Amino acid sequence: MGVPARPRTRNERAGADRTAIDTGILTNVGFYVYVSIVFALLALGFNLQWGYTGLFNAGIAGFFLIGAYTTAIAITPPTPPSIGYPGHLGGFSLPLWLAAILSMAAAGSVAALVALPTVRLRADYLAIATLAFAEVLRVVAINWESVTAGTIGIFPIPQPVEFNPPSAFLNAMVKVAIGAGVLLILLVVLLFMTESPWGRVLRAVREDEEATMALGKNTFLYKLQAFAIGGALMGLAGWLFTITINYIEPSGSFAPAITFSVWVMVIVGGAGNLRGAIVGAFAIYGLEWLSVQLKDYAPRELKDTIFYIRLMIVGTLLIVLIIYRPEGILREKKRILR
Amino acid sequence: MTERSEAPLILRVQDVRKSFGGIRAVDDCSLAVSPQSVTGLIGPNGAGKSTLFNLIAGLYRPDGGEIWFGDTRIDGLPPFEIVHLGLTKTWQIPHELRNMTVLENLVLGSKHNAGEHLTNLFFQPGLVRRDEKRWRQRAREVLRLTQLDALANEHAKALSGGQKKLLELARALMTDPTLVLLDEPVAGVNPTLAGNLMDLIEKLRRDGRTFFLIEHDMNVVMNRCDRVIVMHQGRTIADGTPASVKANPVVIESYLGG
Repeated sequence: MGVPARPRTRNERAGADRTAIDTGILTNVGFYVYVSIVFALLALGFNLQWGYTGLFNAGIAGFFLIGAYTTAIAITPPTPPSIGYPGHLGGFSLPLWLAAILSMAAAGSVAALVALPTVRLRADYLAIATLAFAEVLRVVAINWESVTAGTIGIFPIPQPVEFNPPSAFLNAMVKVAIGAGVLLILLVVLLFMTESPWGRVLRAVREDEEATMALGKNTFLYKLQAFAIGGALMGLAGWLFTITINYIEPSGSFAPAITFSVWVMVIVGGAGNLRGAIVGAFAIYGLEWLSVQLKDYAPRELKDTIFYIRLMIVGTLLIVLIIYRPEGILREKKRILR
Repeated sequence: MTERSEAPLILRVQDVRKSFGGIRAVDDCSLAVSPQSVTGLIGPNGAGKSTLFNLIAGLYRPDGGEIWFGDTRIDGLPPFEIVHLGLTKTWQIPHELRNMTVLENLVLGSKHNAGEHLTNLFFQPGLVRRDEKRWRQRAREVLRLTQLDALANEHAKALSGGQKKLLELARALMTDPTLVLLDEPVAGVNPTLAGNLMDLIEKLRRDGRTFFLIEHDMNVVMNRCDRVIVMHQGRTIADGTPASVKANPVVIESYLGG
């Protein structure tokens, strides 16, 4: 973050340089916030599918990937192959808002197509089918170089706002503002949808699909809608990821581990509770972010193990929570109808 | 069949078959139910009674045969369309929506509720509000009728076994059915509540509804049903008034015992 390697004098630390140090920390906290929001969007999508409707999607990373690549291809300037870079499809230099719509549409329609044959399956088979789907997508992204630039990935992706002179701090704050705005709008819209009679049918499908059918509901249609809308939210998460990280590559960012993290976030936060999904995302990603921050302060012999300590903490936390509070930090609330 | 064809039938099952693996659960089964009756379906365990109910309600698809509801052929229709025609069922083991309140369980029985369609939420908010209000009122009426009103805002999972049976019936009534299939409505229900439940069914029948029920409680079958159909090994072996069925030697041998 531009911090000089030379040890600073007491005067420097106390004087003009302090603001630079503070913005450095804030830039870092900003990074934590917008990455958490990316996870929160994924968690909201999964919560709609599983927390509300009972559809266990194990291919979250796949819909995330579709959104991310759609955005990367949409907003970058034309990138033909050159020496040292294989090039990728487009880009098309489209505005960010249009890329957001395209990413949601792409991930949402693919989710609907995936749902058509699979949401009729029993929960465990749905999980297997969607997990396989996401892995196939990732392998395609690795190998279809002319579209995705393969393992090299797509970069540089322009910042949402270019500052002159460049400022990591201002960039981070812009990203936090975009993420927070999107999250707030989504929270309001999703609350309206899930607390409506429509949302009530989703919960009924989760509780007992046969009984819901016997009450005259076309449960297949509701499952299809929930899966597609959840997929679209994951696509939007991909959009936010691409415009904030400015670099995407298929091997790490869209691996099954992303899917597993989102599961943990929703289980810890509280399935069937929108705020729970957001709390879970900030808490679980917070542990990862903290472990990276603490690495610099950890004693030498702990430096390499701190990553594993975090995994142990997350695992233990999950076990304790499932035993003592299976409904998550924020439990699903009881709806009192008037 | 000749004497029955004169009266219009509300339900007609003709040569219906259903196998699971090598087991023929329902085997060329034929029967009929008259409108505004309380018809009992009895038979030993494994006779195919519950399977037949699932076939009629559309939860299973028959391997062969025809099922008619009034003038509409319903085999092969999806369950939700059959409910919209006015035929619904309850379960032997209550299928309550556990983590939803009793009132929510009932409101879910609403038919063509505008707010259950995603587009209406955004484009017809006024209609959604009016519809929802109307259905909640109706749900409260049904709760009073079934004496569940004190439990309206309890989670369904908090109810006792007997209360869950009442909830099943109440929820079925929300769909405004002309024919209700009840799978063991009083099993596990204490005698007083069972009596109340059967009184309610009798009252609803006088209002024009038809009940077709599976029951092992012979007291209920003999005193409350107009007609009794007996199933054994996937087919009907007897059909008549409770008294005639009780005296039928085939029924005594296969089900009632000496």
